[in-house]
Amino acid sequence: MTMKVVGQRVKRYDGMAHVTGETRFVDDVIVPGTLTVKALRSPVSKGTIKTMDTSSAEAMPGVAGVITAEDVPCNAYGLVPDQPVIADETVRFKGEVVAAVAAVDEDTALEALEKINLEIEEEECVLDPLEAMKPDAPKVRPEGNVFMYDERPFRQIILGDIEAGFKDADVVVENEYVHPSLEHAQLELQTSLAVPAASGKLTIYTVSQALYFHLGQLCGILQMEPDQIQCKSWAPKTGSSWRHNAGFSDVNYIGGTVGGGFGSKNDIHADHVTALLALKTGQPCKWRWTREEDLLYSTFRGAWFITIKDGVKKDGRIVARQMKSIRDAGGYSSLNPYVVDKHSFVATGPYFVPNVQIHGYCVYTNKPPASSMRGFGVTPSVFATELQMDKIAQELGMDPWEVRFINAYRTGDQTPTRRVLNSVALVEVMQKLAEKAGVDLPDKLKNMNSKERGWT
Amino acid sequence: MAEGQFLKATDLQEACELLAQYGGKARLLAGGTDLMVAVNQRKLFPEVLVYLGDSGLNYINAEGDNLVIGAATPFTDIMRSDRVQEETPLLAEVISHLASPAIRNVGTIGGNLANGSPAADSATALLALGASLRLRSKTGEREVAVEEFFTGPGETMLEPAELVQEIIIPRQIGGAKWAYRKLGKRKAQTLSIVSVAISCPLEGGQCQGVRIALGAVAPTPILATEAARILEGKAMDAKLIDKAAKAAAEATRPIDDVRGSAWYRRRATEALVKQLLAQISA
Amino acid sequence: MHSLELTVNGRSYQTTVTLKTTLLEVLRDKLFITSPKVGCNSGDCGTCSVLIDDKLVRSCITNALSTQGKEITTVEGLSKPGHLHPLQEAFHEKYGAQCGFCTPGMILAAKALLDENPKPSRKDVREALSGNLCRCAGYGKIVDSVMAAAEQMGQAKN
Ligand code: FES
Ligand code: FES
Repeated sequence: MTMKVVGQRVKRYDGMAHVTGETRFVDDVIVPGTLTVKALRSPVSKGTIKTMDTSSAEAMPGVAGVITAEDVPCNAYGLVPDQPVIADETVRFKGEVVAAVAAVDEDTALEALEKINLEIEEEECVLDPLEAMKPDAPKVRPEGNVFMYDERPFRQIILGDIEAGFKDADVVVENEYVHPSLEHAQLELQTSLAVPAASGKLTIYTVSQALYFHLGQLCGILQMEPDQIQCKSWAPKTGSSWRHNAGFSDVNYIGGTVGGGFGSKNDIHADHVTALLALKTGQPCKWRWTREEDLLYSTFRGAWFITIKDGVKKDGRIVARQMKSIRDAGGYSSLNPYVVDKHSFVATGPYFVPNVQIHGYCVYTNKPPASSMRGFGVTPSVFATELQMDKIAQELGMDPWEVRFINAYRTGDQTPTRRVLNSVALVEVMQKLAEKAGVDLPDKLKNMNSKERGWT
Repeated sequence: MAEGQFLKATDLQEACELLAQYGGKARLLAGGTDLMVAVNQRKLFPEVLVYLGDSGLNYINAEGDNLVIGAATPFTDIMRSDRVQEETPLLAEVISHLASPAIRNVGTIGGNLANGSPAADSATALLALGASLRLRSKTGEREVAVEEFFTGPGETMLEPAELVQEIIIPRQIGGAKWAYRKLGKRKAQTLSIVSVAISCPLEGGQCQGVRIALGAVAPTPILATEAARILEGKAMDAKLIDKAAKAAAEATRPIDDVRGSAWYRRRATEALVKQLLAQISA
Repeated sequence: MHSLELTVNGRSYQTTVTLKTTLLEVLRDKLFITSPKVGCNSGDCGTCSVLIDDKLVRSCITNALSTQGKEITTVEGLSKPGHLHPLQEAFHEKYGAQCGFCTPGMILAAKALLDENPKPSRKDVREALSGNLCRCAGYGKIVDSVMAAAEQMGQAKN
């Protein structure tokens, strides 16, 4: 039987709208009377707000509303709700929002920002996570600069007996790897449009990649019931009519129209501010970040400082892995604790190591909060592991392919998180890969498979 | 907010008169590829724009030993001109690496120069080619060598009421050797980290009138005169090339910025000059 | 305020602008033609690409008043109801669009190329699109799409 979809090339459901220009991204949704939102951002990396006077901005013709921390019903959000929507007293990174304005046009909004009287007392900041871990480092947060996983300042993953593993090893290969921070640079800027209705309901046009997460968070921030907010994800316009959704129960959640996310839209950047301003002014409010704001202040992949110490047998087997990874999380948690988790879970890469000790640290610094980007911490973990495999091969004078084949997961292996793998095809994948890359593997490797270890 | 005035200059004369009339208030607008970026970023609030798009300053002519290019000629037109490709191929090559097609379609050579960027790609080509500029104001005109034109980052010797009228380039008929390389973060749509343009007329295997131009390594695009002097009148060999490349690196006064460190720029200059001279002498 | 008259996709419009209004603002905010996107507002990304008198430009750094009396084409103007331009067809068929944000600009950059050079090499295509960023990085498929469209248009001519 031929299937309609499985095994077939399928056209994109939104492809036609993309090529004709019909697709409406959030910024393309035009509602009459929409106000332009602009934010005042902290000029310093760390400081205390001493004066915040918005009266002259508010008095300006064309300004519909100004909000500060005082206007936020519940001023903390995030996975670990520790980030204020608008900084209250303390600012923890340069670019943190301290006030926002809604005005009739961009010029007026920007002029109003200049009229806000903001005085911040600058304090000593810490930008390097290794420095931030030292006991006498300036405090990014009152409770300390290192995120606590229950009682530990790190995520610990343990398998087997690490001491015994190192004893058993012939050589120890230890290296440090640094993965710099990276920006998603998705083409669609962080954008939000919030439209209030007389009924008290609020419609938010969002670029979110995580609609339900964000809906929940927004309800928390605004202290509204979920059914008072319609968080719409826009399907492309079809024909000439919009698909309007009447109530929460028939919200169309199937795929948002996101102009590239790559993880940059897993955190709320703009929806809370537009929502607050829309509620305050009673008018639709749109906030589109500038490219500069997006590059400088939106979330990004935080830097990693990774040390891997492996105990290796002369035959190429890794028998112990000790890894310490430090994540530069920036000023707030965002998704960082989870990113460190995922990083740590896959710390041996696709390789079986019987004795493992992983410590993943999530460290705060006075930088914009880092967060998810394509793989939630897995990519830097894999980056370090694969470099380490080459270093091991070098150390042992072995073919890098062989080191990988020897250590590759086989059916029945246990991962560091003690999951037993019951369907593995890594050896076969690598064989295929070699073939495609025009690498002629030695027979020994050609004959291996994922069913058996091939060595004991 | 002030209304502002948008004035179309229908010819050179009118452009000069408008500039004289509005003095420092007026800004010239051609393709707008630099000007409008500054406007969008709110670094510039023009009160008077004098538009040169219909001013007749779009031409490429041969005049005696020179090729004369109107300042408001878009890059695409210059790059595609048969005359430019034959007589100053270095310029066509440099332009083909400049920004991207959409920018080249409207961005003009005069605008690129008048903007005074140390990284202006067209400037390195013109420096290497020994070009000069005709500057014009209501009260007169003067001709200056490209190397005198730039006075600092974003600064040129243009007076407030003066404009670049045209670019005068000696035609390289009959085989001057040349080479160009631009080092950027990517190939297209990128500012130079270092760019090197070399024009090297060879007579009987010897360098005669060699010019080595360096971009983005000093407050202005510069000529590496000492490096050129080392080569002058000599036949190139590996040792001489090394020496010239070192001298070129010496001539730089680079800065650290997001695109590259001063250290890197100096080293890259040396490497590029070496590479390009080797290419020319091969 | 200055009066501006221009033609977009065959229809003429009259509107008012200031000295610093860009063509992109005119299209999006005044005429509600939203296929040209705001990606950077500084001429770096190409999402705002349009054709002025068939020439590819970046509308975010085009002064609106310099387009007085000009003819602008956006991707909305390439198709007629029920009838796509071969480039649109090809971008759809060959998966040239992922998130779709760069797509209108890409298609116009490709159109400017094919209008001049109906039989481009892959290198020509890459060069012509070099100022248009696709952060979904679907470049291979984008080039495939343009090549397919070129072929299709060539056949249609013969
Ligand atoms: S928005 Fe015009 S080039 Fe990016
Ligand atoms: S398809 Fe997403 S940026 Fe190109």
